[in-house]
Amino acid sequence: MTDGIKRRDFLKVLGVSGAGATLTACSTEKVERLLPYVTMPEDITPGVATWYTTVCDGCSAQCGMWVRTREGRAVKVEGNPDHPISGGALCSRGHASLQGLYDPDRIASPMVREGADFRSITWEEAEALLAQKLDEAGGRSLFIGGPLGPSMAGLVDDFMESVGGSRVEYEPLADAPLREAARIVFGVDSVPRFDIGEARFVLSFGADFLETWLSPVEYGKSFAKMSAVDDHGSKGRFVFAGPRLSLTGLNADEWVPIRAGSEAVVALAMAGIIAEDFGDAGPYAAMLAEYDVRRAAEVSGVSEDAIREMAHRFASEGPSLALGPGAAGHHRNATAANVAVMILNAVAGNVGRTIHFDAARGGSASRPYGDIESAIRAMASGGVGVAMVHGVNPAYSLPAASGFADAFASVGFKVSFASSMDETSAMADLVLPDRHFLESWGDTSPVSGVMAIRQPVMQPVPHFNSKQTGDVLLSVAGRMGRGMGAATFYDYLRNGHRRMHGSDAEFETAWRHALKKGVVVHDGGGQGAVPALRAPDTALAFGAPTLDGDGDLTLLVYPSSRFGAGEFSNSPWLQELPDPVSKITWHSWLEMNPHTAEAMALRDGDIVTVTSPHGSVDVPVWTYPGIREEAVGLALGGGHTGFGRYADGNGVNALALLPAETEQPSGALVTVATRVTITPTGEHRRMATVAGSDDQHDRPIAPAVALAALGHGGEHATEGGHGSGQHMELQGVGGFVPMAAPEEEVSDRFPMEGSRHGEYGDRENTARWVMAIDLDKCTGCSACVTACQAENNVPWVGEQQVVMGREMQWMRIERYYESVDATHAAPLDVRFLPMLCQHCGNAPCEPVCPVYATYHTPEGVNAQVYNRCVGTRYCANNCPYKVRVFNWYSYTDAVPEPMNWQWNPDVTVRENGVMEKCSFCMQRVREAENRAALEGGRDLRDGEIVTACQQSCPAEAIVFGNLRDPESRVAHVVANERTYRVLDDLINTQPSVNYLKKVTFHEVASGEHA
Amino acid sequence: MKKHWLMGGFVGVIALAAAAFVQEQDAPVAGGDSPAAYPSGQPIAFPHNQHAGSEPGQNNMDCMFCHFSAERSVDAGIPPVSTCMGCHAVIPGTQNPQEIDKLRNYATTQEPIPWVRVYKVSDHVHFPHMRHVNAGLQCQQCHGQVQEMTVLNSRAPEWGGDNMGWCVDCHRQSEASTDCSVCHY
Repeated sequence: MTDGIKRRDFLKVLGVSGAGATLTACSTEKVERLLPYVTMPEDITPGVATWYTTVCDGCSAQCGMWVRTREGRAVKVEGNPDHPISGGALCSRGHASLQGLYDPDRIASPMVREGADFRSITWEEAEALLAQKLDEAGGRSLFIGGPLGPSMAGLVDDFMESVGGSRVEYEPLADAPLREAARIVFGVDSVPRFDIGEARFVLSFGADFLETWLSPVEYGKSFAKMSAVDDHGSKGRFVFAGPRLSLTGLNADEWVPIRAGSEAVVALAMAGIIAEDFGDAGPYAAMLAEYDVRRAAEVSGVSEDAIREMAHRFASEGPSLALGPGAAGHHRNATAANVAVMILNAVAGNVGRTIHFDAARGGSASRPYGDIESAIRAMASGGVGVAMVHGVNPAYSLPAASGFADAFASVGFKVSFASSMDETSAMADLVLPDRHFLESWGDTSPVSGVMAIRQPVMQPVPHFNSKQTGDVLLSVAGRMGRGMGAATFYDYLRNGHRRMHGSDAEFETAWRHALKKGVVVHDGGGQGAVPALRAPDTALAFGAPTLDGDGDLTLLVYPSSRFGAGEFSNSPWLQELPDPVSKITWHSWLEMNPHTAEAMALRDGDIVTVTSPHGSVDVPVWTYPGIREEAVGLALGGGHTGFGRYADGNGVNALALLPAETEQPSGALVTVATRVTITPTGEHRRMATVAGSDDQHDRPIAPAVALAALGHGGEHATEGGHGSGQHMELQGVGGFVPMAAPEEEVSDRFPMEGSRHGEYGDRENTARWVMAIDLDKCTGCSACVTACQAENNVPWVGEQQVVMGREMQWMRIERYYESVDATHAAPLDVRFLPMLCQHCGNAPCEPVCPVYATYHTPEGVNAQVYNRCVGTRYCANNCPYKVRVFNWYSYTDAVPEPMNWQWNPDVTVRENGVMEKCSFCMQRVREAENRAALEGGRDLRDGEIVTACQQSCPAEAIVFGNLRDPESRVAHVVANERTYRVLDDLINTQPSVNYLKKVTFHEVASGEHA
Repeated sequence: MKKHWLMGGFVGVIALAAAAFVQEQDAPVAGGDSPAAYPSGQPIAFPHNQHAGSEPGQNNMDCMFCHFSAERSVDAGIPPVSTCMGCHAVIPGTQNPQEIDKLRNYATTQEPIPWVRVYKVSDHVHFPHMRHVNAGLQCQQCHGQVQEMTVLNSRAPEWGGDNMGWCVDCHRQSEASTDCSVCHY
């Protein structure tokens, strides 16, 4: 550099002029547009959420919903507290319905088949084509649909009558055996309503009422009521009888591991024992004598004493209630098993007490099940000219051997009303994209006496040229000259409801009220009618059902608590939601008892070929002590091939192993039908699991207290072994010193003195946000996990990233086996613990952050400031609870349009390189503060701030509030004798999340958390 | 060596000045409605001073007449086209009637006006307008003397933009919370 310019100077020049160039560029290129409305909708204020009521259409439970919209986009769904079914809560699948709305794989426009492909057409052309084909079919048309609301069912029936043809109702996991049993035993053709909350002893024969059976949110609520410790210090008991512990089973106080298919004999033996002393079995008395307890013990594989004890408890600890078997126990004698359970209930006097026929579940009661079989026969024999499929996917959800695919393919003209492509619509000749239920009108009446209007919560997502099926049918009927008195389904719906009111004015008021409140509850009528036992009109086999094949292991196929029968599989939230039992995400697994696996030298993750007489699948093994040794379990919902980018290729379809047969006489899909053989493939995979340890390793993470020890201050004694250590206090920068001797019990003083750290000290005039989680209520259902993910813009990372341990959910449900024994030798004790940021008063994450991105707020919250974070991850390393997650890639960048429409505008969308974690829903705190400030600067009210997880919990296990307010609900809950804080006694973190110990019937041994 | 430093600084200053010049100028340029028609990039040459100014001939309108949700929402609100037309249906304008023709065109075609955003805080900051308006702050305290500006620019001396010190100074002076999680969550 002889000319005097040194490298360093050159870089300086370059740097400064570079800055100038950047500035210039900024002013021209990086333009952000602000688009105002042309005309302002009157119910929208920018920046303020607008809420609408509607009804979830995820399953036949039909929970009432509140939908939060921002600037016309639905961003969050929540339970409607006024609705008697949801009671303000919602399950994971309900939350994920938002992803169905914004599913990028929804169909963009009507399509007609052209060779192997589809061609987009206009609605005009599509409707004209359908009208023409229906005309040509000359009355040989068929409509296959799921359960419909009253108005839609009426419309479709009218339509099919007018064009000539019939409607077939098909629901993959319909509880047909239950309904059929009610008809046989009581002569009532409907599913009764079960009042779990009123019972004191619940016995489930494989009815998974906390996850998929009938109405899981409602039952989650009533189960919490049933199992809560009441004012008299007692709690209801729940016994689960079945070959495999589902999530529902894991919440039982006792597991009676009966063999698959032995429900009927056990129930009848119990009924016989009870009838001897108490009840009258009416026309079944002779039959009960036939099925004695000795035979039951033989068939079921549990001891006579166990069955006797169950029977005595069932009779004496009443009101009792027996349930099931549900879809996971639909073997070839499932109707007989449901009949036996009904008889047991009748003998114990439960009908009219915990089982109500006057508030029966609605639906198309008059239609026999198994119609789909005759529909398949009709299609195969060429008796159908036009087949329309709406809202169901039988090509996937019927066993391959049913012949649906071939029969459907043989129909001359096939129409699909699916909103996104699936296995069935891929075969169609005409695809007419339906609206998502959040864009649709409708009505629901899941239970007699409860009616709710489903209203659209936003304009249809503009990416998809969709049309509500009701509107299509009305339009087609009009084209065929068979007008049905309404131009749109909205008119049809209103006309139907107008007829129930005297005057127009009265109707308009009632209509507005129904929309505003989201539900109309009226007297169901038929008060207190208790039907008597009837002699059966159908021959029933109560013995063990036949199983196909000659393998050693019985295959148990069960509905997934995340995917149902597979209709929710295209939601990345649900795919990445750890299964509540196995904690596995994305892919399928075969559940196998550890002893069975050991005998076959199989480990978790070993891929095996499962072969039944009907097919075979390759799937990794997951050892599970909650399944009998002679059984293996496989969940439904995997193995999609044409359903969308998030579903396809994940897992295997368990239906491939099942026969085409349906249960007789109900016509339900048979899920327990075959024996299988297991052949190791020699291959192994790392499972995409989020499970850490099944064992607490003697640490008081999720301790319990025996019911007998409650109220005597005895829980410390029973848990023992921890909590006796000296409390330490952080002393400036000088490490920990022993805390001054407290004047009262440490657990009574919260927050502890030692939590006065951080820049702000402990200001008296601020709130102190804390949470209480009652582990006795938590069922591990994981609705909170999805609710949190929806509220807080938490990304999903995909299977490969989960395998690497990079899952990003801010909450997880820890599942610890304390005692799970498939031989009935030890009590059942499984602990669920929702783990989220504990917002420690003495947080290990805070002092290690070099940039002060995580710190303690004056309100007692451990905050994470994303814009400060530089991603050292020291905090995550130092967190004893493993609740901090790191954003390795900007996962949100990969979210396709329009799925990103769901993002909550009140929460920062994080990019890569940033730690994140639970914020105690700080955006909701700020929103409430803003509201209070606008309302004259009033104080916040207790209960005004509801975190997303709390809102979603059916059991109301989570309470959030201000501990400084002595009248707050959380202050009362925290004052419970069961309160503890995770690991606090060991490491003095002083968490703000307080847990209430689970209450067990059995003794919790000293030093055993365990 | 020092000379080179100066040289670099000089280049930078010129670049800055050029950028400023480009933003300050906003006389209509012939050539229609393209975003490039106005150096500011705004689709309509909207003079804030004509509307909000209190000089003779100006209209002295309240800011919240158009920015209607500033006192009840986190967002101040950009007026819908219908609000503009509420007056401009009968006010054709005298100085630049062609600009009002553009407005009418948006109203007729039912298209939103693609305004270019001037004031912006980062995505990781939550600024609730209503808390500040209801605390008695004047809009001008952050946005500058809008009623005197033909074209808004985010370099008014009052506007601190993404400079957190600017926010915190005011929060300290008015004894508002300086807790990070008040704005960052």
